[in-house]
Amino acid sequence: MSKKSQFSRRQFLQVSAVAGSAALLAGCAPAATATPTSVPLPDLTSGNTIPLDDLVKAVEVEGKKLTTIALPHDWANYGEIIETFKSKYGISINELNPDAGSSDELEAIRANKESKGPQAPDVIDIGVGHTVTAMADGLLSKYKVSTWDTIDMKDPDGYWWAEYYGVLTFEVIKDAVPTPTDWEDLLKPEYKGKVAMAGDVLKSNESVMTVYASGLSRSGGDKTKAAEMGLQFWKEVNEAGNFIPVIADQGKIAQGETPCTVEWDYLSLANRDALAGNPELDIVVPKTGVVAGPYAGGISAYAPHPYAARLWWEYVMSDEGQNLYLKGYAHPIRFNDMVKRGVVPQEMLDKLPPAEDYARAVFLTVEELQAANKYITENWRKVVFGE
Amino acid sequence: MSEQSITRQNQGSAPSARSSRPKFTWDWVGLAPFFLFAIAFLLLPSLSIFIRSFQAPDGSFTFDNIIAIFQGRDFINAYQTSLSVSIITSLGGGIFGFLLAYAVIMGGLPRWARSFMLTFSGVASNFAGVPLAFAFIATMGNAGLVTRLIESIFNTDIHAAGFTIYSIWGLSIVYMYFQFPLMVLIMAPALDGLRKEWREACENLGGTEIHYWRYIALPILMPTILGTMILLFGNAFGAYATAYAFSGSFINLVSIVIGAQIQGDVLYNPGLGNALALGMILIMSICMTGYVAMSRRAARWLQ
Repeated sequence: MSKKSQFSRRQFLQVSAVAGSAALLAGCAPAATATPTSVPLPDLTSGNTIPLDDLVKAVEVEGKKLTTIALPHDWANYGEIIETFKSKYGISINELNPDAGSSDELEAIRANKESKGPQAPDVIDIGVGHTVTAMADGLLSKYKVSTWDTIDMKDPDGYWWAEYYGVLTFEVIKDAVPTPTDWEDLLKPEYKGKVAMAGDVLKSNESVMTVYASGLSRSGGDKTKAAEMGLQFWKEVNEAGNFIPVIADQGKIAQGETPCTVEWDYLSLANRDALAGNPELDIVVPKTGVVAGPYAGGISAYAPHPYAARLWWEYVMSDEGQNLYLKGYAHPIRFNDMVKRGVVPQEMLDKLPPAEDYARAVFLTVEELQAANKYITENWRKVVFGE
Repeated sequence: MSEQSITRQNQGSAPSARSSRPKFTWDWVGLAPFFLFAIAFLLLPSLSIFIRSFQAPDGSFTFDNIIAIFQGRDFINAYQTSLSVSIITSLGGGIFGFLLAYAVIMGGLPRWARSFMLTFSGVASNFAGVPLAFAFIATMGNAGLVTRLIESIFNTDIHAAGFTIYSIWGLSIVYMYFQFPLMVLIMAPALDGLRKEWREACENLGGTEIHYWRYIALPILMPTILGTMILLFGNAFGAYATAYAFSGSFINLVSIVIGAQIQGDVLYNPGLGNALALGMILIMSICMTGYVAMSRRAARWLQ
């Protein structure tokens, strides 16, 4: 009996296998012959620019899907960028953890190397300092967008490029404190219990840059001494009782707890609009020690939708996409080129602090950034709180 | 021995041997979810922390993480701060919470006051994290309502006099907000269990109030009091979100240092983070052992 059943089972398997593969062949035969001849998918390995039409066609074949990570809608106008991209190309976007940090983004790529599922990000937006790790771990795929030549800060091979930058500003509640003009003002007694940062130095790049910028102001622009002198500066701010160790966000600024906050311009200007005069905020770029904080874009080496990822960057790095950043008060990296060609609307320029302030902005190389990061986070507690 | 017991059992239950044979029961199925939960969310994570505490970034075995804790003044300092905040708030929350619970249960308050207090405690003991931190900043912070009221009524700048909410004491006050009601919540049923007759018996035998508390009420309540204080201690010791939302890494707690090690951009060293967590587990284990010993001693009075 067992022999018979075994036989019949094997037979059944054989039959069904033949039937199944026949059905499979029949099913995919027309598609298999049609797709490769009509659209030869563009090459991804060279990193060369893919003409927009070819890219759009490839995205159709790919399924018109994109997975992004760490793009908060109120950050640098990403909400509008995402919406316009979706409607322009009819692509559905799966947004992973909007509040993730740069290391979380890299971790998401690492964790999903083998997976093409919905948890694997296609595109990332990380602090420039993180590009070193990302490249060393082989997490990025190279691509040069069509506007490549006008991007001022980028990896020569195309593994990453800056998309936008901000400078640190003083965000001051007008009635509460006099508006400072430079870093040294923050040591004055009228700022007692009034000066705050928008992040935690041990975790946030923004706060590390706050320390660095104040040091750059003190050192007269000497980058090698900036980190050390910045810590010294904040030690003095803390000893004077001026530093409040609370992480300033829109709520705390609105409530008045942090009358003078150091924050990226795109965040402080967005706060000024959001709070709409209650309280009235003054946004100032300091006279010295103006440090630019660029963010870098890239494509995951394991992207499930590599063509959609490239199309995303073509859009974001185009004049249209770059202007959307500016609408969210983030300075697009192609700002100078676009102003020269007159494609930035005047009404947008009017809402920003004077362009001269941005001319003073100092860009750091990735190496300088990392050295500053390391020195400042390792010594922050020791120097500033004396522990 | 085992053979004997088996035969005895077989003999004893001979008539109904088939039905009562302890061969296989489905009883354990009821407990399975609990064990699965305990394994997945307690045992495995602890094991993973233990293993990774001894791992270098490349995965090889090392003692460096443990050694680093004792070398960094930061880390020792963080344990001290965490311990002080936990001890302050578990003692403070414990004592005041006990008194409040006593007032509510034994104080002869009207029924509605009692149920109001218990409901409030239930809500407040779960109020933590970002909203709690913001609530305290908004009331007692530099521009807080209470701060401003005091300043305008007494016409003084209390910050000039050195007052700040951003300190260990400030954080302890914030923690007390959920510690205190938790103590009330757990003590209330225990106090309910104290019978009037015991006090009457004590008084009839000539005992005073002190005798009653010393020999009757406290010994009965002691296991609950100790257990709850341990709970409060653990509650404060492991808290992260509230402290972080309150003042970032300004107050150097172990949980915050761990956060910086595993999430931070530059300090990133998960091995060290795990070693620090192992230290916390060790401290909690010592506390739990102490609790078991003490409650066993206390329970002796009941027998």
